[in-house]
Amino acid sequence: MNWALAARIARRELRGGLRGFGVFLACLALGVAAIAGVGMVRSAIQAGLTDQGAVLLGGDAQVEFTYRFASPAERAYLDSLATETSEIVDFRSMAVAGDARVLTQVKAVDAAYPLLGAVQLQDDVPLATAFVGSGGLPGAVMDGVLADQMGLAIGDTFALGSQEFALTARLLREPDSATGGFALAPRTMVLTADLARAGLLEPGTLFDTSYRMILPAAADLATLETDTKAQLPDSGLRWSDRRQAAPGVERFVDRIGAFLVLVGLAGLAVGGVGVAAAVRSYLEAKISTIATLRTLGADGGLIFAAYLLQIGLLVGVGVLLGLALGVGVPLLLAGIIESALPFPAQIAFYPQPVIEAAFYGVISAFLFALWPLARAEQVRAAALYRGGLAGGWPRTQYLALMTVLAAVLIGGSAWLSGTAKLAFGTAGGVVASLIVLGLASWGLAALARRVARSKLLKGRVAVRLALASIGAPRAETMQVVLALGLGLTVLAAVGQIDSNLRSAIERDLPTRAPAYFFVDIQPDQIDGFLAKLGANPGVSKVESAPMLRGVITEINGIDARVAAGDHWVVQGDRGVTYADALPAGTKVTAGQWWAVAEARPQISFAAEEAAEIGLALGDTMTVNILGRAITAEVTSFREVDFSNAGMGFVMTMNKAALAGAPHTYISTVYADADAEPAVLRDISKAYPNVTAIGVKAAIGRVTEALGAIAQATTLAAMATLITGFVVLIGAAASGERARVYEAAVLKVIGASRGRILASFALRSVLMGAAAGVVATIAGGIAGWAVLTFVMESDYAFEPVSALAIVLGGIVATLLAGLVFVLRPLSVRPAQALRSQE
Amino acid sequence: MTDTILALDDVWLSLAGNAGSIDILKGISLTVTRGETLGLVGPSGSGKSSLLMLMGGLERASRGRVMALGSDMTALDEDGLARFRRGKMGVVFQSFHLIPTMTALENVALPMEIAGVADAFARAEDELEAVGLAQRRHHYPSQMSGGEQQRVALARAAAPRPTLLLADEPTGNLDSVNGAAIMDLIFGLRDRHGATLVLVTHAPELAARCDRIVRLVDGRIDTTPQAMPAARMKFGAEV
Repeated sequence: MNWALAARIARRELRGGLRGFGVFLACLALGVAAIAGVGMVRSAIQAGLTDQGAVLLGGDAQVEFTYRFASPAERAYLDSLATETSEIVDFRSMAVAGDARVLTQVKAVDAAYPLLGAVQLQDDVPLATAFVGSGGLPGAVMDGVLADQMGLAIGDTFALGSQEFALTARLLREPDSATGGFALAPRTMVLTADLARAGLLEPGTLFDTSYRMILPAAADLATLETDTKAQLPDSGLRWSDRRQAAPGVERFVDRIGAFLVLVGLAGLAVGGVGVAAAVRSYLEAKISTIATLRTLGADGGLIFAAYLLQIGLLVGVGVLLGLALGVGVPLLLAGIIESALPFPAQIAFYPQPVIEAAFYGVISAFLFALWPLARAEQVRAAALYRGGLAGGWPRTQYLALMTVLAAVLIGGSAWLSGTAKLAFGTAGGVVASLIVLGLASWGLAALARRVARSKLLKGRVAVRLALASIGAPRAETMQVVLALGLGLTVLAAVGQIDSNLRSAIERDLPTRAPAYFFVDIQPDQIDGFLAKLGANPGVSKVESAPMLRGVITEINGIDARVAAGDHWVVQGDRGVTYADALPAGTKVTAGQWWAVAEARPQISFAAEEAAEIGLALGDTMTVNILGRAITAEVTSFREVDFSNAGMGFVMTMNKAALAGAPHTYISTVYADADAEPAVLRDISKAYPNVTAIGVKAAIGRVTEALGAIAQATTLAAMATLITGFVVLIGAAASGERARVYEAAVLKVIGASRGRILASFALRSVLMGAAAGVVATIAGGIAGWAVLTFVMESDYAFEPVSALAIVLGGIVATLLAGLVFVLRPLSVRPAQALRSQE
Repeated sequence: MTDTILALDDVWLSLAGNAGSIDILKGISLTVTRGETLGLVGPSGSGKSSLLMLMGGLERASRGRVMALGSDMTALDEDGLARFRRGKMGVVFQSFHLIPTMTALENVALPMEIAGVADAFARAEDELEAVGLAQRRHHYPSQMSGGEQQRVALARAAAPRPTLLLADEPTGNLDSVNGAAIMDLIFGLRDRHGATLVLVTHAPELAARCDRIVRLVDGRIDTTPQAMPAARMKFGAEV
């Protein structure tokens, strides 16, 4: 192989300019820019989180306890480590003002808070001043949303439990808010000392405490973590430090980033269709040159190398354009992006996402360009006389090379995204969609050919012409259906999943779900609480159970996270209840329920979750409850239904296992919609310490979160669609010459411009509709699979979003197609026909 | 060493079309000897150009054997044929088939570059001078007239000093003045380099300049007496 000669030929060939490569460059640049841009923002957030780790955490390190304060010994030990310490208490409660009773997430702090950063209050009121209060009442600050919801102005009073507070300022920003995770309710902040008479932090109530520490400069975080866990064994403490201050946020950003990069890859796959089409049409225009080279003695290798170098140069230009765009836009809009993100971000140039995007761009461009390139190599000298790119398959060596490139691309995306399962899933989805869409476009062309010849269309010239051109050899049908179909498929799947979930949440769940969860009911309050509800005719059902919270620390003596992987039951704390007799309605699926008053600690575990973590009867499980490690044997499995938002405990223990542990009760109340406000009013008046969680409000928050995810996915799918639209425009542009000739011939035989336009438009409509229908079917299947197997929910075909997808397909092809019919309609037949000769 | 440059033995060429397979050439047997000039004549569609393509290895026979310069061309694949042509065969087409993105000089040098000739450009300059286009060497095909383009194509075919020169209606796209000039050049180059020339033409006066004429009708060599007398019959067609 003479690469120098190939390079000389390539250089001379490129003198012809890059005409016809606009779509090639646009497709590649868009895909690369999207991936580089997402990567840049992700790196910026990661850098921000690392840099701001200590501020986000609220200290260099933090130790958390569940439902208890640190014991004096524990506190003394923590104080001995730190130069400064601050105690934070976090819990849910009801904020009450007159008739307004709203759930709030309370953060009770000490005077040292915040150790790092600053709390921002409206009108720049200092936090310490805000806590001073007014009119003899302690001060509190509140999220503006909550204040508005309760109709509170600055200076108004409200109660938390049995303590009155004066609202002294609106809370704008907490420096450590990013570490808090998903909150069901807006924030209220008070001093812990002011809650002493509120009756909210009684033993057994649900609250978390965290102890933030500023450590000496020389402190080694890893050593301190190990030492603390060794010094305070069985305390159930959770350690975190500035090395990974907001693991939840980091994981979230990582996942979202990986997801968006994979969506970007789907965009590149769509762009690949445009790349392949552009290379093919470029090489078709070069057939005479290639055949001449053959005549002059050039072998296939030299021809392949010469054109590979040309495409390689174009790939380089496309990728560089994409990188410039993907890096330049975030840098230019740094200020806007940084202030719009809820996390700290440091927008700057990061090499890793740039390399990643270039890798994806180069590999995918060559993967898609290789097929037409390999076929160019097969052009025979006789093509000078007989024309046409060789049909059929490229040679085995090129097919092998394509397989290697595909494997590198998929393997690379699995490695770089860090979520192999998602990467393989996306790759499988894209490949399957391309195959389905390819088969569908082939079927459409065959059907169009058949119908065009049907007697039914006799006299319907426009329809017959449109169908014939869809079914014609070398029509752009395949290109259009592939380019548009993939983006529409993602959109259709999102539409189906989103609308099914919404209907499940909004229509089905409220009919089965309770109106309220009441938590923190003290043992001495439960009888009165139940009696009060029993007297209310609007209440249809009440279920109550004692509740504690515990963290599963070990299974059969092995660290639970090792034994059960990253299953949700071992992440964080879980609700635990106890019972002696088998509760009514409980179905034991395996093992035996314990005998009443049996002394040996035992656990009955949720059957499905037990199977998922590989738990067997006879296994032992250690659960840390309020700093006490309780080891019990799993003696039975129960059926637990989490789908109706009712009360469902993963773990039930026998009474002896939890003897003496302070606890409260949880209660679910089913009531008529009309009776709900009265139930809330009665209970919160009688039991100010009891917290009510309105299921409808909670579902509203979840629906909102789901809506945001659906919106993000839709936006990502739209990016794929934009690339698809560019490909459509490319297809329409490359077909313009054929349209000009077609229109000229039709004019010669007497067709009016209106009829020609109708035929061209009809062709676009039919191709767009076909892409939309195929995408709807493929998206429907994907939606069904996700809902059935991943979300374990029911699926019903949702026609409105499906219709929107089909209409979207039609509008897109029509727009792209009609841009390029003006010239065919306006060119005089003689002019067009002469240029063909 | 034999004097036979080309030997075709019962050669068939069939092409697949939408309506089925079509036989373009039907059992052609023919030899061409070193230094000979052979004119291929016949009506449109009789298979003249296809026969020329088979001789140059631009097309592969469906049946039969084509021996060129002692090698069996039917045994070579597309790449083998391309390599075989290097330096041994020059082809001139009716439509010139110059590469539009290359200058006249680059077009002429190209076959020699492909064949690995060290002084490809110096030789290309000489050849352009020989066809009277030295001053147009840096011009692109689109900047030249049809006659000039064909002269560049002729220089390109002749530059590697081929043993076999194949010309397919080289004057078909030219007016009579340019056509005559091209034919003078072709025969002049043949005389200068001593190449064997096979010429496809419709023009009787051009055919008459050849040593021998073979007339094709419907894919077969016409052996009727009226097909022969126009030319000086030095060699007979072997049917």
